[in-house]
Amino acid sequence: MNKKLVSLAVGSILVSPVFADTLSNPQIGVVLDGYYQDGQRNNSERGEGFGLGHTELNMSANIDDKFYGSLTTVIEAHDDETELLLEEAFIETLTMPYGLSIRGGRFLSDFGYLNNQHMHTDSFVERPAAYRTFLGSHYYDDGVRANIVLPTDLYVKFGVEALSGSKMSSVDDGSDVGVYTTTLKLGDDFSESSSWQFGLSYLRNENGKVCEFGDHDHGHDHDHDHSHGAAVTGSNLYGADFVWKWAPNGNYKYQNFTLAAEYMLLDGIVDDKYKNDAESPDTLAGYYVSGVYRFSPSWSAGLRYGEAESYDGHAHGDHMHFTAMNDKEADAMIAWDSSHFGTVRAQYSRVENQSKETDNVFTLQYVMTFGAHGAHAF
Amino acid sequence: MATGVAIVSSSIMASSSAMALNIFVCEPEWQALVHSHAPDANIYSATTAKQDPHYVQARPSLIAKMRQADMAMCSGSELEVGWLPMLQVRSGNPAVQDSAPTMLYASDMVGMLDTHDHVDRSMGDIHAHGNPHVQFAAEYMIPISREVTKRLQLLDPDNAHTYMRNGMKFRANWRNKLAEWETKAEPLQGKNVVGYHATYRYLFDWLDMAQIADLEPKPGISPTTSHLQSLTKLDPASFDAIVYSSHQDQRPANWLNQQINKPTIQLPLTVAEGQSLDQMYDQVIDELLRTLVNPDTSTRS
Repeated sequence: MNKKLVSLAVGSILVSPVFADTLSNPQIGVVLDGYYQDGQRNNSERGEGFGLGHTELNMSANIDDKFYGSLTTVIEAHDDETELLLEEAFIETLTMPYGLSIRGGRFLSDFGYLNNQHMHTDSFVERPAAYRTFLGSHYYDDGVRANIVLPTDLYVKFGVEALSGSKMSSVDDGSDVGVYTTTLKLGDDFSESSSWQFGLSYLRNENGKVCEFGDHDHGHDHDHDHSHGAAVTGSNLYGADFVWKWAPNGNYKYQNFTLAAEYMLLDGIVDDKYKNDAESPDTLAGYYVSGVYRFSPSWSAGLRYGEAESYDGHAHGDHMHFTAMNDKEADAMIAWDSSHFGTVRAQYSRVENQSKETDNVFTLQYVMTFGAHGAHAF
Repeated sequence: MATGVAIVSSSIMASSSAMALNIFVCEPEWQALVHSHAPDANIYSATTAKQDPHYVQARPSLIAKMRQADMAMCSGSELEVGWLPMLQVRSGNPAVQDSAPTMLYASDMVGMLDTHDHVDRSMGDIHAHGNPHVQFAAEYMIPISREVTKRLQLLDPDNAHTYMRNGMKFRANWRNKLAEWETKAEPLQGKNVVGYHATYRYLFDWLDMAQIADLEPKPGISPTTSHLQSLTKLDPASFDAIVYSSHQDQRPANWLNQQINKPTIQLPLTVAEGQSLDQMYDQVIDELLRTLVNPDTSTRS
């Protein structure tokens, strides 16, 4: 055991890095999501019975030392149809000065807290009712984004986006650049055991205001045709979000708790000519509060309550008919993790929909990944 | 290297001579190591001794620290794969991207153990590049120190001489300590243990010890009752103690201790606050000797 000689030899041989890239290139990952569901949540992409959810194929890599690229395709099956959707296809700069980064292509908007996160990282089967109503569950679009992170100990990120807005459009021939967003994120640690993030978001939708309604044919009625656009749109969408995470000594493996809350307000919904009509929507609000407690490395449980206002509008010959609506949803879920890569989740939702009917929805779901598994956002 | 990066790096270098370097490290052991080489630098560790470095949140405060870093050092080999890439991308900081000479992975300088040509997740959370717990790769601290010195000199040429001197001092001391530890730990040769996770793979390899079984059924999967039951059937003569780390759940080790009456040893995962790297090695070897070699003088209850 001549250790000295070994260490000398090692020292001279191994001064240069053995493998410069410790991550494999490119990273390819697959998300499998399947479920059985009894009942249906409003504005949801998941139907009754057996079905597949968000089946994802993701590929990403550093393109060179200056750019990163990512491609996410989603395969969705609805009845006999299989859809291939391109959810993300973007490039992003890595080496801009002053904490700047620029992204171009198709990507998930930074609006709100949940929107820019991949669905398979969610703690509940569906996005909250507010997301399904105002953002089409998760809003992705073609455009550009610029972000800047300030060089301060308090995390301060400011971002702007310009997007096509075609999924959020309620007019036939609108502006080519329909949506602009600005977001501000702040965050820090309260202590070694807990951390927070607060965000403010604003989304300007040039094509969001509804100027004409057809006979019984407003773009709202998406309940059963799984459109990926927003259920209701308006000129301005404002958002505020807060997230707090806690783990004993900051060790998230055995025990942790996440509290998240968001509020959204939509205005500029219908043309001024409708403002005197009964129940014509002026502003619509939505929110949710959720808490998820991980009580062992394999088990977590969570509760969520949310509401989202919407409306229905259609023309009756020469006069309009508006109906104000409100979705209320209370969810309880329990999830078992077979490992870091596999989750089986049971969720019960009590849904009170627009027509004041209550419904019980039960979902049993698995979400599992293989291949590369990207890092998760806070 | 691209000119854009070169310009950015040189502007960092120009400004750094006026103020202390900001260095981001993923684990406290690299804070201790870098501190020996650059005592004037502000070194921020993303994790503490109480945290499992596999499970860290890419939280806002870490992105803010990453944004300000002139240099970063991590274990690498996918140990931080669940959060470090998110910090790198979100920070918008060219100095901490994988292409930059100021982003340093310790495992790049280590002759890795347990590398796999074929990795399948049914094998648990294992890494094709090998075991990433290189803070206990004792002999490789010499080449790691050389590389840290080189990168610091590149980043801050004005103080190149200081880094060279500190690096030589560290390596001279480390060589003396290596000889001291090897002599002192000779009685540990041939000792076998059951461990929670493959955290001490490099340590045991260096000291001619072996971990014959894990409390985890598969790497990264928490101990299950059925797996612990199966460990009670191990030949009592085949191992001497049960080893776990300070940040791990101690119940599985204690349960097995009650079943088969083998002593448990809690070892540090990394340096404690203010501890130097060689003090951690002293502590680890003393703990092992106290239980495995001199159990009569043990002060443990």
